[in-house]
Amino acid sequence: MAQAGKGKLNFRCPSCFMRDLDIDMFYDKEKKEYYCLRCQYRGSEKDVLEKNEMARFRYGAMKKRFKMEDF
Amino acid sequence: MDKFIVNIIHRPEMVPEYAEKITGQGKGEDITRKDLLTESLDIFKTQQEIAHKNGLKTTIQMTYASLFNEEAVEIAKEHHEKYGDEIALTLLGLPCKEFRDKYKTKDFCIWMFSMEDKKSIVEDVFGKFYEKFGFYPESTGSYYMDADLINYIKERYPSVKCAVATCWEEGPKAYHTCNNSWYTLMDGGPWAPWIPSKQNTHAPAANEGEDSGIVAIPHLSRDLIACYDGNGSNFGTHPQNVLRGMIYDSKTWEYPYLYNLIDQYRSLAKYNNGYAYNMMFVGPGWMNKMGRWEAPYELLLKSYEDGCAYYGKLKKEGQLVDMTMSEFADHYRKKKSYTEPECALWRDILYGSDKQLFWYCDPFMRACVNMDQGGAIVDLRPYVAKLEWPVGIGTKHVQDASYPFLIQEKYRAGYFTHYAGEGTVRSAKLSYNGEEVDLCLCRTKAHFSNDNGRRTLTLDPVDIEFTGLNIKLQTEVIFKEGDSSIEIRRKILQSSDDSAKVTLNEYMVGCYGTTEYPEDMTSIVLQLTAVDGKTEKCRYDYKCRENELKGATSTAVSIPPIKTRVVMECDDKEATGYYKEGYAFSPMYTLGYKTEIGCGQEVTTWLRLEKEN
Repeated sequence: MAQAGKGKLNFRCPSCFMRDLDIDMFYDKEKKEYYCLRCQYRGSEKDVLEKNEMARFRYGAMKKRFKMEDF
Repeated sequence: MDKFIVNIIHRPEMVPEYAEKITGQGKGEDITRKDLLTESLDIFKTQQEIAHKNGLKTTIQMTYASLFNEEAVEIAKEHHEKYGDEIALTLLGLPCKEFRDKYKTKDFCIWMFSMEDKKSIVEDVFGKFYEKFGFYPESTGSYYMDADLINYIKERYPSVKCAVATCWEEGPKAYHTCNNSWYTLMDGGPWAPWIPSKQNTHAPAANEGEDSGIVAIPHLSRDLIACYDGNGSNFGTHPQNVLRGMIYDSKTWEYPYLYNLIDQYRSLAKYNNGYAYNMMFVGPGWMNKMGRWEAPYELLLKSYEDGCAYYGKLKKEGQLVDMTMSEFADHYRKKKSYTEPECALWRDILYGSDKQLFWYCDPFMRACVNMDQGGAIVDLRPYVAKLEWPVGIGTKHVQDASYPFLIQEKYRAGYFTHYAGEGTVRSAKLSYNGEEVDLCLCRTKAHFSNDNGRRTLTLDPVDIEFTGLNIKLQTEVIFKEGDSSIEIRRKILQSSDDSAKVTLNEYMVGCYGTTEYPEDMTSIVLQLTAVDGKTEKCRYDYKCRENELKGATSTAVSIPPIKTRVVMECDDKEATGYYKEGYAFSPMYTLGYKTEIGCGQEVTTWLRLEKEN
């Protein structure tokens, strides 16, 4: 296969993101998948986006707008 | 009236960090690529336009590379005239063909160069700035500015009065997040503006003699809970940091967290005599047209527009004052005394945990009190030592600019350890009939007060249940302005048995260092002092030795590598002072006092930080 490159956006590995690691993934155009150089994650763009949603689980108050009185 | 101040800072960085790597993927490195230079300047222009559109003045920090670009220079002059923007000079953005040709290196962080090169670069950059503008700047900065660098700049260019001088808790955590490739190791500094001492940038000056002559501001206003535990670059008033952390709704592109963060900073006025501060400093690499990670350019742009719009709205409502860096330095000098601390009772605004931390910073220490652990001190930096810590090539610390800790619960464990050993923390244990409870397991909340220079955290009382005895205990943590000690009071407010006594064990487990990894402890000396002045000492040798002395006037530890001495004292003259040495699997030391306490009684201990001569 030819060498991998960057995809249309520069996705990070969602598995590594969940352990506080920002690792750019590379895109294998033959397999139509992104893969991580560091860990064993690989997945389609759809899968990456789904996993990114999953990574937000820890932000329990992400959508909450606090008031000044809350501080 | 409370005053909330913002500094908006832009830099025309002709070869932005990140952008070259991203836009140039699949190409050989070429920092003179025309498309890279054009895009960089376009981003700067966009940022300026957004700020001005929202009625905000900026500080334009010219980079060395931008001083070779006539258009960038002309924009700065024009915006200074038209909008009152300050033309300043940053030591970020050094990379350009001219720089690399002269210095024959790809290094770009000013604090990592040799002192000889630092001087030479400063002369070059300031000289070029003067050549273009006909005056020397009043503001400068980098991600970190070491004390020797600041002292040199102040001596050579006395007009400089303000500098971006550290990035809060950007250390090993940021390094790890960047796959161990981003060497900005600068933990342990203030999170809000301060006057750096001549000896160590992170340690605020205690008096005029220590004053470096500048007011320092942090690079970004960061989340004081999220950044302490996680990657700092996800949780700051840098809108693209919030995107980096994926802290937005991917469908609606909304990010209330950014506004919550700004608002929580606004709220800090109530702990700091009506003053609160924010800064936003986004390098152009974060708004490049290729997008950044998952975020397309449109989202990057939107976040910056929204950030500026919010500051602009606050300004229109009279709730914010925008200043340039040099204006802020003048304001800060008038507003703050050397010994006035910076305080922040900070709540979680991201994870929904309701956790609360209190951060305290003055010329003698930086401390973090964790209310989720019963008011335990979980981070402690002894600024009192004013540790001289040269950094850069040719020193012992080429990259590591962090101010050393005595306690750091994330790097050297806190209350919880795996199977064996102890972690660093300052807490207390209560025991009764063979049962023991550590206050680290008693979650509570704090209330702040300031009474004649005594900043007091009064914690909500906690219930402690033993078999056959229930007690209600209250903790107060007191920081006295101008003093290098932390006073902790424990009082039993109620007891199911008024005649019962419990054993109170006040303790501090400490070590020293700047990273997760243990240091050589063999120069450390532990000491107990009796009422007659006699002392019992133990030189650290990993032998797990312990010693105690009833009626000890103090128990102390000397840590020569960081020129620091820690002394614990107790108001109960019958209390038993002790120390513990630690061992190879637990390379810590412990200082403590044990005494009996009953209903209605109170025990006070002090932890004093001293400079070890």
